[in-house]
Amino acid sequence: MSQNGSIRQRRTSTLNNDGVLFPGGRSSPIPRPTSLASVRSTNYSETDHSEILSPTPRRHYLIQRQSSQWLQSGGGISPSTSRPSSPLNPNHPTGGFRRHKPSLSFSSLAGNSKQKGAKVSGLNDSLARRWVRWMHKNKLKGWVLPIQILLALWVKWAVGLGSYSGENTPPMYGDYEAQRHWLEITYHLPVRMWYKYDLQYWGLDYPPLTAYVSWIFGYIANKINPAWVALDSSRGIELPNSKIYMRATVLVCDLLIYLPALFYFATKSSLLRHRSIRARHVAFFTLLLQPALILIDSGHFQYNSVMLGLTCQAFNYFLEGQDLLGAICFVASLGFKQMALYYSPAVFSYLLGKCLLLGWKEGSAHLIRIGLVTVLSFIVLFLPFLYPSFPENLLPPIQRIFPFARGLFEDKVANFWCTSNVVFKWNRHFSASLLPKLATGLTAVAFMPTMWALLSPGIKGFGSMASLYHTEASVDGTENKKSRRPAPTVSLLAHSLFQCSLSFFLFSFQVHEKTILVPLLPVSLLMITSAPTVEGSDWEWGVLLNNVGCFSMWPLLRRDGLSVQYVSLLALWNYAIGHNPFRQKSLQALTLAVYSAIFVLHISELVISPPARYPDIFPVLNTLISGGVFGLAWLWSLKRLVELSWAMGSLGTQRSSAPSSLRMNSLSNGTRTKPLAVQEVFSSSIYGDNSATGGNGHNSQRHSVSPASSMVRRRNTSVLPPTREEGPSTASVVDLNEPSM
Amino acid sequence: MDNDTRNEHTFSPKRSKHMSLPVLPSGSDSHIRMRKVSNTSSIAGQSGIPPKVNLEYINTSGTEEKNSRNIWSLSGCDWDLLVIGTAIKLLLFPAYRSTDFEVHRNWMAITHTLPISKWYYEATSEWTLDYPPFFAYFEYLLSIPASFIDSKMVDLKNLNYDAWTVIAYQRSTVIVSELVMAFALSWFVRRSLRPDLQRIISASLYFHPGFLIVDHIHFQYNGFLFGILLWSILMARNNQKLLSGVLFAILLNFKHIYMYIAPAYFIYLLRSYCMDPSGSISIPSFIRLAQSVIAVFAVSFGPFIWLRQISQVLSRLFPFTRGLNHAYWAPNFWALITALDRVLLKLVHFRGLQLDVKQAGVESTSRGLVGDTVFAVIPNVAPIHTFAITLLLQAVFLVKLWRHPTYKSFVTAITLCGYVSFLFGWHVHEKAILLVLVPLSLLAGERHSYFRTFTIASVAGIFSLFPLLFTPAETLIKTVYSLLWCIMVLPPMSKQLYEFPSSAVGVVVDFLERAYLYGFVLLQIFTSLYPVLAHRGLPTSQGQTVDGQSTAEVLSKLEFLPLMLTSVYCAIGVIWAFLRLGFLYLTEQF
Repeated sequence: MSQNGSIRQRRTSTLNNDGVLFPGGRSSPIPRPTSLASVRSTNYSETDHSEILSPTPRRHYLIQRQSSQWLQSGGGISPSTSRPSSPLNPNHPTGGFRRHKPSLSFSSLAGNSKQKGAKVSGLNDSLARRWVRWMHKNKLKGWVLPIQILLALWVKWAVGLGSYSGENTPPMYGDYEAQRHWLEITYHLPVRMWYKYDLQYWGLDYPPLTAYVSWIFGYIANKINPAWVALDSSRGIELPNSKIYMRATVLVCDLLIYLPALFYFATKSSLLRHRSIRARHVAFFTLLLQPALILIDSGHFQYNSVMLGLTCQAFNYFLEGQDLLGAICFVASLGFKQMALYYSPAVFSYLLGKCLLLGWKEGSAHLIRIGLVTVLSFIVLFLPFLYPSFPENLLPPIQRIFPFARGLFEDKVANFWCTSNVVFKWNRHFSASLLPKLATGLTAVAFMPTMWALLSPGIKGFGSMASLYHTEASVDGTENKKSRRPAPTVSLLAHSLFQCSLSFFLFSFQVHEKTILVPLLPVSLLMITSAPTVEGSDWEWGVLLNNVGCFSMWPLLRRDGLSVQYVSLLALWNYAIGHNPFRQKSLQALTLAVYSAIFVLHISELVISPPARYPDIFPVLNTLISGGVFGLAWLWSLKRLVELSWAMGSLGTQRSSAPSSLRMNSLSNGTRTKPLAVQEVFSSSIYGDNSATGGNGHNSQRHSVSPASSMVRRRNTSVLPPTREEGPSTASVVDLNEPSM
Repeated sequence: MDNDTRNEHTFSPKRSKHMSLPVLPSGSDSHIRMRKVSNTSSIAGQSGIPPKVNLEYINTSGTEEKNSRNIWSLSGCDWDLLVIGTAIKLLLFPAYRSTDFEVHRNWMAITHTLPISKWYYEATSEWTLDYPPFFAYFEYLLSIPASFIDSKMVDLKNLNYDAWTVIAYQRSTVIVSELVMAFALSWFVRRSLRPDLQRIISASLYFHPGFLIVDHIHFQYNGFLFGILLWSILMARNNQKLLSGVLFAILLNFKHIYMYIAPAYFIYLLRSYCMDPSGSISIPSFIRLAQSVIAVFAVSFGPFIWLRQISQVLSRLFPFTRGLNHAYWAPNFWALITALDRVLLKLVHFRGLQLDVKQAGVESTSRGLVGDTVFAVIPNVAPIHTFAITLLLQAVFLVKLWRHPTYKSFVTAITLCGYVSFLFGWHVHEKAILLVLVPLSLLAGERHSYFRTFTIASVAGIFSLFPLLFTPAETLIKTVYSLLWCIMVLPPMSKQLYEFPSSAVGVVVDFLERAYLYGFVLLQIFTSLYPVLAHRGLPTSQGQTVDGQSTAEVLSKLEFLPLMLTSVYCAIGVIWAFLRLGFLYLTEQF
């Protein structure tokens, strides 16, 4: 065994010497028979595991190789996971091709990893990682999650000690009073009066689920102290205990809806479950302490976490292929806060695209099922308003939920309208009735690419899911329906949700600065499925957007008296995830520029008082900076979408009409005999696309092929017989995300 | 390296003190440190260096010298802890603050506006200056930037000023001054022979819930003061005893509560610095020490001696007009005695026990826990009694220290001196438990029996601080934080130190101690739910009377029941830990 290893070591080193990277097309394989023999031997060697657990696993230079492998795995792997799934993991969804990796990694990359490994591993080390590692080493693994949740609750509660929106500012107060007022009116008034009662004083303008939740909390509050929610007489009540009660309701919502959804995503979703438990803990930690949401929900006071949590859960269900449950969750999310509409084009396109992929028979049935469930959910949601008189009762909530009578933008918001308003006064050039239409049109144009990205695979590969899957019993004997699998386009869904909601934020009508939380959720989810230095810069953009998102809400937070919490949470989160713009590889210039601008703005706001001529100079500069970043983020997401869907489409059309990711999806089941052709497709596309063995992980190198990889490809297509794919693959996938312990 | 080494460590009953297991590697240098430590152990363990006093506590090999020369260089782990700690403490700015906040603001105003001759006479506010002069100078330093930020902060007449500026400023000064402790703790790890354990201990002290509750919420500067104490202990460890003595003298002039542990310092310095091992006094050392300490006191009290105000200063520092117990009983011996008195009184009432009942004592109980404590059944205690008991018990431990003036013995003696004063002192405040917990933490990594003592004392002591924060908003803050602290500190240390009890009695005691520790969960649930229960009891029972008095009256009479229970339950643990530590110390072979 040891001899085998040493032989391999020697051979890989020789291979390393001539395995110089060079750009080349897919069809330029260089035959190297001797080396191939060694590669071949390692493929089936039993010692591969010892290599996986080798005592000095450094961060592999392969970390940047991941641009397109996810494409082959259907919904199995994240578009941007930094680390391929561990072969030791039984859930490992892509057992099919992993075993070819050792040749790639140890031949052409050993030298690189030696030289740069330390640097790269330093890049990924963060407080969260170090802490999780320490906990695991001290056999406190089981305590990691409870501690994380307790810590998150503690931080939220500590932020809640501070002031809230509209504290001590009669007569109207702020968002806190609005939410408290809804407890009062829903508890004391009949349902038909909810959307009609004294609309001037914080009339209810959220969908019914908010009202029902308010009713529950109002009921409990009334049990504890009726004065907190007494009708009319409790307006503006600001007792210490009533404040604690309201803060506690937010925490309870968090605990019941938001945290479980995040937990499910970070530990069980198909995007992350193949990662090591430490990586998942770190991912969960990153989401838990996301500062923007804590500042708004626990500081400013709102219940955004409910809406975001329900959306996240819907996304989880879509990833699992459980579209009906996902639809119910999404309707619930919409029913809690109409802001979730910002996601709806993406969700709609995904579901429709999937129906198209399923073909006529399956697809139409699926479409009808989803439609029925959606309509039923809405009916249940509005049930109290449908009875006794049907249309009259339903109208007030609808009118309240969609207020088209307000202005283009309310405050200084970092969206397109407000930012461009600095140079072009929209109100002067367009009439008030035209502007909403303009905004709607522009929004629709902005989210068109999303819909196209999600629908076009369906149109191109119409019915391809049906032809690939055979409804046979899976391993555990349960029936395996085609509609129960996620469509391959699910890998685009996170990006689509982000792009779509950002389009709404940038271009739509009547946007609040708090609305940035809506695009921040999908980009944070994308971020944790990725890692620093990974191609595509999902992680870097995620961090940047989260920080700039917080910054864009700074005027609001400062008004609320949450400046210390703003500083503290941002510092804590950025430090915890190990964000260091000076050391990051991609996006460094933009990040540094934006941060220095933010820094200068904060300092000057602290030191200089604004000139009398421009009293709003600081908020305006704020919107200019953040609006610029959000605009760039929109372009970036567009680029990512085009990249991803192009890769998907091009791969598919080369060999057959169906996207090739479907094939991989069928492979990943692990029990079926794999046709040779498919394997060929996959191996060439994987290594052909996988550029980034040596470069900086930029897309310009997507089609360079290293000699080693092309060798592997040739070898695979010519020598390997069609085999049954069972058991763990034998790739020496070094735990890329975890530095050596 | 992992599995084999660790298993050997965890399960071998007798470990070499020099072996170590870095548990919290900070980034990339963990391997290096590991190597260094093993170097050291081989040197110290095999080559037979004559046992100098502190050898076993200091990594004396030169490998870490280069690193340790620079006080300001922090390792990655230190930075981690510093950033988290600061961020967490920043979040507590808007939290509840006690009158101590106004006390310190007032002192800033006094020192800033008045000349030094009037500092100890000023009485506009009821919170007169009653700390020693160094603290007054410290407040003067703080008042200089304060006057630039917001001049109203240092206005003597501006009582109870609570604008955001003063809150943010004073809270930040606590965080910044606490860095003294942070650096001392980081320095403790540097040359420790078991850096893994010492690191956990240091982190546990930096994040101690006691400091969070008392300093960052309740408001005081204990982190800063204990930082000086830790520097002093550190200097003793590093064989710089003169410096240690000077630092302690400085500390005494910041806050005179540290006089409780002064006897241990006196004996230790006398024995190990002023006398050589043979027992003869080294006059030059003695003079050097005496000169330095006197110089410190001269700087501190000099101006007031010059102004002939020394008696006024001393009368401010030592007001002997308070009762045996503080408003809320600190969990000490007297709390148990007082509780016993209350129970006996009830027995007298209900069972007709033949005991003398003093009327003053009965009235004292009906006034709840506030004010003077006068016993109804048990003979009263005078200040002189408490002093006698304190000194007597301290003397027992000081004799041991005299015989074995080693570093470890010294730290144990400090802890025990603080302990005795806390348990038997007159009018002890519950915050004084920190005087026990901080030096005791330094001993926690010794052995399992020390660790168990530390666990019991810490849990009971921290819990006894909870009533300091009575506002409901802070309940979650203090409980969750303490719980997190316990989870992060106790299991990792226990994993390295655990020893199965060696005798049947040990097993029983071990079980009882565990049961006691888990009892705190029940106690917390009870104290949290009690107000709700009492509140619910009120509306139903109004009007109707049961046995001559309504339930509401009974409940309001028992308003202090949770406090009393907390105090008594914590007192049991604190006293048990004291007995453990005292026994350990007296039987320890140094």
